[in-house]
Amino acid sequence: MIRLKNVNKYFYKDEPREVHALRDIDLTIEEGEFSLLSGPSGCGKTTLLNAIGALDSIDSGEIYLGEKEIGSLDEDERTRIRLNDMGFVFQAYNLVPVLNVEENIGFVMRLRGFGDEEIRQRVLEISTMLEIDKKLKSLPNALSGGQQQRVAVARAVAAKPKIILADEPTANLDSQNSKALMDMMKELNEKEGVSILFASHDEYVLESVRRVIKLNDGAIVDD
Amino acid sequence: MYRLILKMAWKNSFLRPARTLLVILMIAVSMSMMLGLQGLYDGMLKNMIEKNKRSDSGDISLYAKEYRIEKDLKYRIKDADAIKAEIEKVQGVKGVILRIKADGLISTARKSSFASIYGIDLDEEEHFGKFSEFLKEGENNLKKRGAIIGLELAKTLKVRIGSKLVFSTQDSSGEINSIALRIRGIVQTTNISLDNNALFVDIKHVHKFLGTTSDEVTQIAVMGEGTQIYDTLKTNYPNLDVKSFLELQPMIQQMQDMMVIFNSITFFIVMSVVFIGILGVMYVSILDRIREFGIVLGIGMQYKYIRLQIFMEAIFVGLLGYLGGAILGTVLLIYLRDYGLDLSSFSDALEMWGYEAVITGTIKVSYFTSTFWAIIAASCLSILIPLRKIKKLNPIEVIKAEK
Repeated sequence: MIRLKNVNKYFYKDEPREVHALRDIDLTIEEGEFSLLSGPSGCGKTTLLNAIGALDSIDSGEIYLGEKEIGSLDEDERTRIRLNDMGFVFQAYNLVPVLNVEENIGFVMRLRGFGDEEIRQRVLEISTMLEIDKKLKSLPNALSGGQQQRVAVARAVAAKPKIILADEPTANLDSQNSKALMDMMKELNEKEGVSILFASHDEYVLESVRRVIKLNDGAIVDD
Repeated sequence: MYRLILKMAWKNSFLRPARTLLVILMIAVSMSMMLGLQGLYDGMLKNMIEKNKRSDSGDISLYAKEYRIEKDLKYRIKDADAIKAEIEKVQGVKGVILRIKADGLISTARKSSFASIYGIDLDEEEHFGKFSEFLKEGENNLKKRGAIIGLELAKTLKVRIGSKLVFSTQDSSGEINSIALRIRGIVQTTNISLDNNALFVDIKHVHKFLGTTSDEVTQIAVMGEGTQIYDTLKTNYPNLDVKSFLELQPMIQQMQDMMVIFNSITFFIVMSVVFIGILGVMYVSILDRIREFGIVLGIGMQYKYIRLQIFMEAIFVGLLGYLGGAILGTVLLIYLRDYGLDLSSFSDALEMWGYEAVITGTIKVSYFTSTFWAIIAASCLSILIPLRKIKKLNPIEVIKAEK
């Protein structure tokens, strides 16, 4: 589903402090995968995740989403790809503070133009699965960190993206909430068939995933 | 989607309620003050024009050719009664009045001054311009050689109600003639030339005094607005000098233009305040939420929706300010219209320029419509800089920054 061919990414290119963040990355992520990008801090996990998620540009190589090459698209096209094909879960939840849980979960669906009834049913389905259906009318600031991250996961998965990219989703959670979140994401992966790619060095994540891609100094060292 | 954006915009407008309310209050207060000022400016001028029309020229005045240059009785209108009757039949004419005027010397036992005697029919003047409303002292009565004198002229001559005076001038046959009169009333019209020089006497006495016949006058004043009346009179009386109010009072035209400039300057200043207020609140609000915008861009929200949301936020703040300003402004304008602004302490200076000491305001719908569009424009302009900030926003930078 996602193929990376010889992808390179530099920061501060052609400057004395140049950093070669991704080195000749060749990677394939298949549909329904539950994978992890792991490695020490600064090894390029997040950079690779952002490149796959069309959040960041690359300097050379190709990234294919299905048959479409997305590595060389302009910002508007990348925005469209992110909206239609990707789901994102960030470390700091990043919910819209003025919208309640129901509206936050349905936010991406609204952006994609789903109808009211379809959104309502899907929000109910996902929120029940993630055990936040009792909080649908609450504002994000009335929720615990674990609940907020579940809302962020629900938002990412609601519009049925091709892949969910989760960058350190458990970093702000305690061990109990981290484990619960990973169990739920695994369930989502199995039930919904959605591919999930994590970037993390959390042991709960490492224990939960089926594939681990190890990075070091911007290159894949083990898969 | 648009419903959601509207909701987000509304809620974000009040994310920091104290700040937003302060800006709304600032817009409302400055707008109401501006409306009040506009009402006062226009009211001052309107009162001045209205009193000038009522006491003197009407909307249009007719004179014999050359009279306005020579000011000589030999240039007087003949057959005035017939002309008056004809003009009264012209559509839109509300009133027609005949006056005869002569310049001369007015004297008391101790003082004398230049003055103009106006022969008027008090009943008709009442119908034409509510003459009695100008009465400051005494009674509205010209019987038994009574005279009503302008306030400033009375001050110059140091005369009071009941004082005797003598007016001398050249009559229609060229002879110097005098008439003894007793002051029955003192008027203040805020028409500078009348207040400084006028002596109103019954038209029959003046005809007799000047040796003119009852259908000979120096001025026919017509009340009735519209260029159609003016054009008709111009066509019908090519041998007379037909002048509109503004042709007779070019100063007032100039003052009207000045008021437009004053109003525009006030308007510009207030709208600048509104613009800066909304710009400030929007800019700070966007800086507060820069991460939120980065994230929603990151998850695929298109820039056009963010632009719409920010536009709606600015419009909400602007419209609430407008609403508050319109309510406060209406209250202020109604007060100024009904009670006026008492500037009695400056009455001498104001009256010297033809203004009343108590200035009453006017209310026009155009004040509110023009302000409405200006606030919408200020709101739209105020988001340009914040939008530029978001347009340059790279979601990846925001996401990196949070870690």
